[in-house]
Order: sequence, then structure tokens, then C-alpha cells
Amino acid sequence: MTTYQEFIQQNEDRDGVRFSWNLWPSSRLEATRLVVPVSCLFTPLKERPDLPPVQYEPVMCGRANCKAVLNPLCQVDFRAKIWACNFCFQRNPFPPSYAGISDVNQPAELMPQFSTIEYVVQRGPVAPLIFLYVVDTCLEEEDLQALRESLQMSLSLLPPNALVGLITFGRMVQVHELSCEGIAKSYVFRGTKELSSKQIQEMLGLMKPAVSGQQGRPAAPQDPSATCRFLQPVHRVDMNLTDLLGELQRDPWPVPQGKRPLRSTGVALSVAVGLLEGAFPNTGARVMLFTGGPPTQGPGMVVGDELKTPIRSWHDIQKDNARHLKKSSKYYDTLANRTAVNGHSIDIYACALDQTGLLEMKCLSNLTGGHIVMGDSFNTSLFKQTFQRVFSKDYSGEFRMAFGGTMEVKEMGVGGTSQWKVCSLNPSTTLAMFFEVVSQHNAPVPQGGRGAIQFVTQYQHSSTQRRIRVTTVARNWADAQSQIQHIESSFDQEASAVIMARLGVFRAESEEGPDVLRWLDRQLIRLCQKFGQFNKDDPTSFKLSESLSLYPQFMFHLRRSPFLQVFNNSPDESSYYRHHFVRQDLTQSLIMVQPMLYSYSFHGPPEPVLLDSSSILPDRILLMDTFFQLVIYHGETIAQWRKAGYQEMAEYENFKQLLQAPLDDAQEILQTRFPMPRYVDTEHGGSQARFLLSKVNPSQTHNNSNGWTQEPGAPILTDDVSLQVFMDHLKKLAVSSST
Amino acid sequence: MDDLFVKPGNQERGWNDPPQFSYGLQVAGSTRSPLTKRGPPPPAAGLQAPPPCGDPSPDQQATSPHLHGITPPPHKMTTPTHRITPPPSGVTPPLSQATSSPCGSRLPPPPKGPDSKAPCGPRAEPDPQPEPDLQAVSSVLAEALEACRQNVSRQVCEDIAKRLRLLEDSWTSGRLSSTVKRRMNALTLEMKSSHWSAADDIHRSLMVDHVTEVSQWMVGIKRLIAETRNLSPELLAFSPADPVQPEPVGN
Repeated sequence: MTTYQEFIQQNEDRDGVRFSWNLWPSSRLEATRLVVPVSCLFTPLKERPDLPPVQYEPVMCGRANCKAVLNPLCQVDFRAKIWACNFCFQRNPFPPSYAGISDVNQPAELMPQFSTIEYVVQRGPVAPLIFLYVVDTCLEEEDLQALRESLQMSLSLLPPNALVGLITFGRMVQVHELSCEGIAKSYVFRGTKELSSKQIQEMLGLMKPAVSGQQGRPAAPQDPSATCRFLQPVHRVDMNLTDLLGELQRDPWPVPQGKRPLRSTGVALSVAVGLLEGAFPNTGARVMLFTGGPPTQGPGMVVGDELKTPIRSWHDIQKDNARHLKKSSKYYDTLANRTAVNGHSIDIYACALDQTGLLEMKCLSNLTGGHIVMGDSFNTSLFKQTFQRVFSKDYSGEFRMAFGGTMEVKEMGVGGTSQWKVCSLNPSTTLAMFFEVVSQHNAPVPQGGRGAIQFVTQYQHSSTQRRIRVTTVARNWADAQSQIQHIESSFDQEASAVIMARLGVFRAESEEGPDVLRWLDRQLIRLCQKFGQFNKDDPTSFKLSESLSLYPQFMFHLRRSPFLQVFNNSPDESSYYRHHFVRQDLTQSLIMVQPMLYSYSFHGPPEPVLLDSSSILPDRILLMDTFFQLVIYHGETIAQWRKAGYQEMAEYENFKQLLQAPLDDAQEILQTRFPMPRYVDTEHGGSQARFLLSKVNPSQTHNNSNGWTQEPGAPILTDDVSLQVFMDHLKKLAVSSST
Repeated sequence: MDDLFVKPGNQERGWNDPPQFSYGLQVAGSTRSPLTKRGPPPPAAGLQAPPPCGDPSPDQQATSPHLHGITPPPHKMTTPTHRITPPPSGVTPPLSQATSSPCGSRLPPPPKGPDSKAPCGPRAEPDPQPEPDLQAVSSVLAEALEACRQNVSRQVCEDIAKRLRLLEDSWTSGRLSSTVKRRMNALTLEMKSSHWSAADDIHRSLMVDHVTEVSQWMVGIKRLIAETRNLSPELLAFSPADPVQPEPVGN
């Protein structure tokens, strides 16, 4: 008999779905009493090497407001060639091409192992993919050179028939014509003036002149021969564009002492979005913004050009001292919404030592599914390799990136569907969906005993094919009054932790920090009160069943994480961490909440250890993975041996191997992760050891460490609460009759 | 295999910059299962003091620093818990040959080489292979270009020719590293055998790994490969520079 763990894992492997509860309470009231909402994490384009797409189109339910796709949960009458939709119960005839099906000759989409299946849509014009580079020229020469080279390199990595365009900006914004002639032409816009989409298209000559006498009719956009000038197939313009990129100069306007360069990012993006909107709405396109500093003029400016006015910090924001924040956030939000409506996405590659305005600009990527990459300089391996990985290919040599996605969710009994646009996707993009149980309290469990949900994701594959991925899942309903223990054992604590964390991050973006922590704590206490086994007012009697036992620990680490704690991070850094947190799949998200810690020593093979100060021992090497950083920490003794050079001596070959082991494991992660993590090599007493010390549970601090006991581990100098203290408080509150 | 290497990150420009992997390594991807296991969970629901982690070794005290020196690591020949006698006080243990370069103790096969400002190839070893001959490489490219002149516009051919000249210039003036020369040779061999995808892949790996050296002219090679692969086979007749080279096979 499969345990729930196995059931959960199999479902994730096959369908890319992880539900918080795998048995659903049959009434709305009971659902709210469960504290953690009925919800799931769904990875629409989960990589499935064993699932080749089928070369025909999906069969859909005939009812106009249903249109569910044929799936393994449908009842089928093979003789009459009729199938019954499991969502609306409509009986549908099979199309003529299915005349040959039978009990022993079933189409793939009816088989249980194809609960997730992908269709290739044959009809319709083939639309090319578009990559529009928007490049900041207010960079130091070394950075600009590195960026030039990365962009030239990327021309070799683009999908072969893609269209490519170039906009550069500094004080002015230049849209470059990519004709094949010898002369380089560009259209220049002032960086201070906000322009409407129509004005941009007119100025770029993209509009056909309106025919006289037809007032009220908008001028016809999309003059294809005109747009060709700015967005050309890469295989035709690669040589010219390589030269053009090679000749890119720094912004010529001199920057006086004590001033920042004038950077018109807002207008540059507006021109880019307007160009694509007019020329290629509703086809896969990526605007890729490369910037080396904050926008300092025009709409969307984040800080003025006086260096003595620093860019806003969290402190400034809390004291309402951030002059430009509201206005520029609104500006970028409007731009982001327009981009999303057009089915396009915006990436931000921000490389600078100071902030670049990610707090204000993050919606551009968050609303469109684009990437945010944050680095110190374009001349770093972190940027270069992360950028290369945007164009990475999967096991069958196809690009991982996907475009123009719309995702529909269909639930039984409701009849309606909900649709979202996800303009840019990749195999790890994961969405969290929240469901509301609508049945009234005490209503009988719906017929069939099972609820079903279908996810239909339509998207443009990197080969420009349109594809449809359909995932249909079902779970049993249960009466919460009589089956609460079964519901409890169906709890997926990992998925729930990530889902609650995403809810917390969502709240943190609009509420005050302490309020979010209070909310999170309240939910945790309520959950423990509901499902804990205890005697009233007796904290020592408190117990949690296995399906919930790790959940409090996740919450403990979440409270300390940079997703909810902004202390010690700039607003840009917090935005960056949150951006990645709310789009990664479950495994990676959990790593971010509670980093992995592996121990290497002479005592045995490498093993995972508790993220606790007691794991820090002198004769061990620790490898910590927080997703954003990989930290290799050498214990005190190991560090001394290394310093003394024992690894170079022939008879200490085993020590050399010990030093190498974590490096090899780190390399595995470094080679594949997007974005590329920072790499920290440190040791006992090293200043960079703080990355490890701040993450581990400080079970031993200067407050409680006891000189006499032989307890292992290094005390951490902190006033933070330890997991033990946290749990003690939690137990007290959960069992108390007055909470 | 000089297309599989790791370079250190740029520590001057990037705080804790990770190492840089060659195109070949990145494409190969990860073969081992990822590290996704967590440490032993605390006792269910109880969560009292955390359980002892790892194996607290009974002779833990032996690892504390020795008064006059340090206890050396466990000797290979003995069981892990057996300690060899520490060296006598006052005598520092003999240090071996020069400690590796700053990146050496941090990364897998550390390349000995200059700072990563200039792209450094793999460890500089005495090169067993003779350096490829420019003539062999450029003759293949020139022949391919000639074959293209019929079908491809004059402008484009001139552009490609210009870049081929740049390549030759860089080669003869010694601005190209031997890795790049070797791989260009491999690229032209693939072109001669009409293995267009392989040639394309080599061009891509050169662009990714050695962009500073090749960016000016590599796009011309890229275009040349793209145009020649579309030609009908009879237009392409590479003259065999070496009798043992395989006959060009139609694509």
C-alpha cells in the first residue's frame, strides 16, 4: 500500500502538482478550519523526458462554458463512441478521427499514466520569437566591454529564426535600425518626455497614414516592412549587429563631479514596449533590459542625479521618506500590465555595486514572467553564465524558455474557468493556486466522492510551435467531522510551508513587517491547536503527528529568512530574493526557506545534517546551500591542516580528497542552477563565516552556552530566538485554554 | 579535453563571484542526483534539544589544537580514529611544494594561469599536439566561401571575407591562443565532412569560452556555416589537403 509520501511524490513526478491537503474537506466552513487553505503548487511545464508531445489537437467538451479537455477521468462508451465530460457531465461524440478506438485501443489521453499530456497545435501562422535588447550605456568602460561581448555571444545562442532588436539609452534613448546597408541609422528620443504608445509608433514610422474621410478609425499599425527595420531575423543581421554592438560607446554626456549619470530607463522601456506592441502583439517576445545603475531622469526615475542624496533604504521607506517610490512604481506597473496584455515579457539584468531600482521595476518581471538577475558587474562570471543559461537547452536539445502562456483552471461543479497569462515560462516556473470549497456545511459529499481539477496551459514553444499541456488531477472528498484524522494524514507539510510562505511574501509587500510575522505565527498556533495532541494547559504533553512534525521548523526558518526579514538587506535585494522565491518549484523553494547543510569528515561518508549550530564542528567541512549562495565552511582543525599544507603531502592523500569532496558537490549545483549562486569559501573565524552562522538555528548562544558541558558546536553570538525556545513558546500557546 | 574547464570567478569585480564553467561543461549538465536531503528531523512533535548530529567522535579532544603545533590529519594508512604522533614541538611539519594559486584550494582542477581578466585556458601543459596550420584552416573556409558566392548576396560574401581576413590577421600576429587555433581546426574538419551541426556547436563553444579573442570574426564563420549547409552538395567540393581526410559526404 502506498503511503501518502509516495503518493505525493508520484503525483509530483507525473503531474507537477503538490496539494497542501490530499483529501479535501467537503464544506467551506471545514476548509477554513483547516487553517492552511486547500491549495496547490503547480509547475505547468515540468520537464518530462518520458512524455513526448502528441501530434494532434485535444478533444474538448462541446458545452460552450465548459470546454474541458478529454482526460482519464471521463466515462467513455466505446461502442457508441461517446464520452461524458467529468466536469459538466455533458455527453460528447468523439470526432471522426477517433472511429477506431476501443477498450483495447485507447487514445493516450484516456490512460491514467497520461494525466499530464502535451498536444502540438498544427494550425495557425508560425510567429517568430523576438528578443529586444535594451542596453544602458552609462557604464564603466570595463563593464561596457564585458556587456558588449556577452551580447555578441548571445547572438550565437539565440533560436535560429528569432527576430532581434537593439535600443540603447543613457541621457537619450536610441532605437537602432538593423538594415543590411552600410550606414547605421537610429531614431533618438529625449529621455525626459513620457510618450504614449501611439506617439512612439508614429515617430518610428510604424503607422500607415490614416485614409482621409475615415475619422474615428485608428491608424492601421503593423506595417510589416517598416517594423523590419528595427526587428530583424538574427540570421540576417548577425554580422551587422555584431559590429554595431562592438562599436557601442559609453554615453557621451559628461557626468560632473558629485553627480550620477542621467539614465532614462523609464522612457527606454516605454519605447521598447511600444515598439513591440505596435509591431508584434500576441507573439512571444522578450525585452531584455541591461542596466548598471538606477533610473535618474524622466518618468520612472528612482533617485535624482545628486550623489549626496542616497537611493532609498528600507528605513527611508518606513519613514515615508522615499520621494519617487510611489510615482515610479506606478509608472512601471502600468508598463508591466501593458506588456502582459500583449503577451510579452521583460527581463532585468541589473549589475552594479549600489541599488538599481529593482524595488520599483520588479513588477516588470513579476507580472510578465521575466527574469531578474542581480550582480555586481557585467564583468563577472555570475552575470555571464547566468545570462548564458537563459538560452539553455533541455535533454532533447530544445530551448527551455517558453512564451505567451495562458493557463486555465477548471474545477468540477463550478462550470466557469479562471484564466491567467504567464507570458514567459520555463520548466521550473511554479504557480500557487488557491481553491475555495463552495459546498455548504453539512451538505452531502458530492457524487463520485472525488473532486477534479484540470489545468490547461497553452504556450508558444521555443521552436515557435503552439502547444497545449493538459493536466487533470483528482482527490477524494472527505467529511471533516468524521474523517479529520484521514485529512490530517493527507497533509503535505512541505507544500503547505511553501504555500504559506508565498502568502506571507504577498502580504509583506503591502503590510508592515511585524504584522506579517504576527499573522504567520497566528496561523501556526491555530494549526497546532487544531491538529496537536495535548492535554489542556500542559505544554509537555504536546505532540504533532508525523505529517505535521516538520511544519513548525519550516515556519521558524521562514520567519528568519530574507523573504520576511528585510533587516540587513536593501529594498532591491529583498525584491530580488522574493522574486525568485515566488516562482521556483517546491524543492528549490524549500532550500530557500531552510537551507541544506551537508557535512564532510573522516568519520564516514558525506551526510545531511541539521541546520543547527551544533553541526559546526572543528573537524568537519560543511556545505550550505541557500539557493542564492553556496557556502563551504572549514572547521577550525580542518582550516589549520589546510593552512599547514597537509593536502600537498603524498601520505595525506585522503585529506586532499576530503577537501575536494564538497567542491565536487558544489560544482554539480553551480553547473546547472539559474540564477547562478554566489560562491563562498570560508573557515572558522573567517568573516564570511557569517553566512553560515546567521542561517543555522542558534541552539547555543553566548546567552545559554555553558562552559562546563561538553555540548558540541560553536556558540553563535546572537540574540535571536532558537528553535527550541520557539517551540517551547509555541507549545505553551497551543495548549493554553486562553489563546 | 580542452573544451571542458573551469576558471575562477572575477573576485575583483564581483563579491564571491562563482567559478566559470566552459560551454562543454555547462551543456553536459549534471549527472549526479542533486543534494536534496535534509538532516535528521528533530523527534516528531517533541522538538526538545536537537539530537546529536553526526557521530561525535570519542576522541574529540584530540582534535583541539596541540599546544606547540597542530595534530596532523588522520593518516591514510590507519583507521580514521587512530592518530599518529604529532610532530615534536618546535618543529613545523615540512611544507610540501608551493601552495597552489589563490584559486587552487577552492575549486576543481584549478587552472594555473593569469588573472581572469584575460581569458585563461586550461592548465598550461607542454602541448603534445603540433599547432594547427593556418593554411589548412583558411583554405577550407575560403573554399566554402567561394561555393557560396553563387547563391549568396555579394554584400554578405564581402562581409564574410572581411572577417576571414581578420581571423588570419589575428592568427598570424599571435593574438589567438592555441586552444582557439585547435578548435578552429576541428571546426574546419567538421565542415569538410559536412557535419554542420557539429561545426556550429564548436563555433558556439568558442563564442562562449573565448569571446574576447573571437568576437570580431566568429560571426562570419557562423554565417558561413549557415550558408554552406543550405547549398546543394555538388557545389561544395573541398579539395583534400591531406589524402587521409574522409571524402566530403553530402549533408
